[in-house]
Amino acid sequence: MNLEKVVFGFFVVLAATLNFGFFIGDIADPALHNRYELFAAVVVNLIATVLKFGDRTQIGAVHLATSLVADLQLIAAALVFGYAVYVSAEGLTPAATASVVSLSGGALVANIVSVVLLVIETVSFHRR
Amino acid sequence: MANPLLAIWFQLIGRNDDREVSRPGRYAAAASAAQASATVFLVMRRMRAPLIVLIVIFAITVLGLTLIPGQDEQGRPWNMGFFDAFYIMSYTASTIGFGEIPYPFTYNQRMWLTISIYVTVVGWAYAIGSLLALVQDRAFRQALALQHFRRKVARLREPFLLLAGYGRTGDLLGHWLDALGRRFVVLDSDEDQINRLELGSYYADVPALVADARDPGCLGVAGLAHPSCEAVVALTDDEETNLAVVMAAALLRPGLPVIAHTTSRVLAARMRAFGHPTVVNPFDCFSEHLRISLKAPAAYQLMTWLESGPGAELPPRGEPPMEGAWVVCGYGRLGREVTAELRAGGSRVTPIDPRVSADEDAAVVVADGSDPSVLARADLVHAVGFVAGTDSDTTNLSLVAAARRANPALFVAARQNRSASASLFAAMNVDVLLVPADVIAREVYAQLSTPLLWRFLREMPQMGDAWAAALLDRLTGLCGTNLPTMWKVRLSPKEAPALRDRLASGQLRLADLLRSPHDRDEPLQAVALIVQRGEECFLAPDGDFVLSGEDEVLFAGWYAARRWLDTTLVVDAVREYVLTGRRVPESWIWRKLTRTSA
Repeated sequence: MNLEKVVFGFFVVLAATLNFGFFIGDIADPALHNRYELFAAVVVNLIATVLKFGDRTQIGAVHLATSLVADLQLIAAALVFGYAVYVSAEGLTPAATASVVSLSGGALVANIVSVVLLVIETVSFHRR
Repeated sequence: MANPLLAIWFQLIGRNDDREVSRPGRYAAAASAAQASATVFLVMRRMRAPLIVLIVIFAITVLGLTLIPGQDEQGRPWNMGFFDAFYIMSYTASTIGFGEIPYPFTYNQRMWLTISIYVTVVGWAYAIGSLLALVQDRAFRQALALQHFRRKVARLREPFLLLAGYGRTGDLLGHWLDALGRRFVVLDSDEDQINRLELGSYYADVPALVADARDPGCLGVAGLAHPSCEAVVALTDDEETNLAVVMAAALLRPGLPVIAHTTSRVLAARMRAFGHPTVVNPFDCFSEHLRISLKAPAAYQLMTWLESGPGAELPPRGEPPMEGAWVVCGYGRLGREVTAELRAGGSRVTPIDPRVSADEDAAVVVADGSDPSVLARADLVHAVGFVAGTDSDTTNLSLVAAARRANPALFVAARQNRSASASLFAAMNVDVLLVPADVIAREVYAQLSTPLLWRFLREMPQMGDAWAAALLDRLTGLCGTNLPTMWKVRLSPKEAPALRDRLASGQLRLADLLRSPHDRDEPLQAVALIVQRGEECFLAPDGDFVLSGEDEVLFAGWYAARRWLDTTLVVDAVREYVLTGRRVPESWIWRKLTRTSA
């Protein structure tokens, strides 16, 4: 067992699951989307990205790319969230919630691609 | 190949590669590029830990701030939001400290923040420290330099030379080539040499890399596989390295011209086993020059004049000694070459060297030449020539002084090893001076700048001294005693469109072409030094020589003559006047008008 692979797999999957947890539920209902979960998703995604630094294989490069996409989407979601809460006069309206959740939905797709890549890598790994 | 995606990728790349002509060279470059990117990846990998530590510290402290209950101004319970928490942690971690916002903190919050301050500052310090350490890292900087060099070489669009080794010779050659407007790329294993190059003032940008030229990967990065690479020049002091460069160039880029320096005949033979490299042996060149200067002073004068570059004053013609005995001090590689050459010319030669055994050559005096009694034993008093050819400048200078005292009429040749001794040897005023670095640089330059001139210099000594003296008279008579410019003309339909029909009919005499477009009775101030037709070549042909369409001609003459000759080659009306004396109209309308009136 390779500890590096365990940590790597753990963060990739955790990023996807946290993202999914935040995403699921009525898209316009603020009560169904916990801000702590979004925070956790952002942090775990950032860690997953850093873990993918310096991988020289082709698949490693695609991993890094998907992670960067997920980061971008989640940070955008967090910014929209912050704007709605702190800046906008209306507060967290259903429309604002919907855009936050849909952004995180985009990140979810990128995270799923990441997980698929992880599975491909694992399946095609032959023990010599 | 562990995964299917990679397999597909390499198949695609591989199939593309099959179409490339110079595939091995590309492989070499790719291998070295992989090395460079490996270092960059290693550096990125080393940043993983500090970055993750930083992210985790931030996550924990921010999360803590949002969870710990606070109070607003009226004392009501209030929980900080993520944005406030992140903002506070950002300025706290970077030790800026804007204070307690938006409301004064409770003791709970202050306790948490106290812990956070210590943890985040340590996190930042660790991350920034690691980053700075990496930037200072030698391997990382080398990788950056390699990447930079690779990009510069890959972007070269004009033809360039690959110079392996930048010693004294490379320095000279580099400046000459630069003055000529030629581009080159330098590899040297010595960092000091590369620093010197960066300080040297060149017109063009010279990409240079500290690298071992024996590594084919480095040669690949330096542009061995580049389509614009026109020649490889191996001038390192280590002759094994030169051999390695010749081998790499011959195997990875067959057909590319290679010039290599060596002083050993064995290595020269090993180099010639790979393709057709031009091997430059400074001692060989020198002994040949010495022979020419003795046998044919006019030829030697012409040779040194043409080699010394545009604008040079005609050097004085040497007065070679009569036939007689020679004394050669130092019987190393140079001594042997010179002795063999002199003996081939019929002279009696006495070599002196303390390190050679007498059974090798019966004539050798095994003793230290700087001892006056030894010079007397070698019968210096009755000799006509003396060669001070040891590898120490001090010894050579003292040998020359001692020899001159013993016999003031001697013809003296000396070898200068270090460029710092140049002024001393100039003050000594020896008859023939060998500076190996200069000889190599001049040989290589002659080959690279004007290959026709090089061919001319190669073939000229066989034509005899009287021929050379006549050519010198022609040159000085037409152009004066300052060396005129030299240029090459190819009489192809592309470069000489006005002459196409004339050349095809085989009636064009050289003398007809070299007339002034202003007054055809005046000859142009130019002399054709050599005409090359395929493999054949004609040295300094006279005016009745009939030119053909596949000729390449090297002219020496005034710059104005070059311009006039160019117009004769290109403009039909000028050609008509120069060749036949008829004035024809130049413009299309006038030509039409004259044709209808005629």
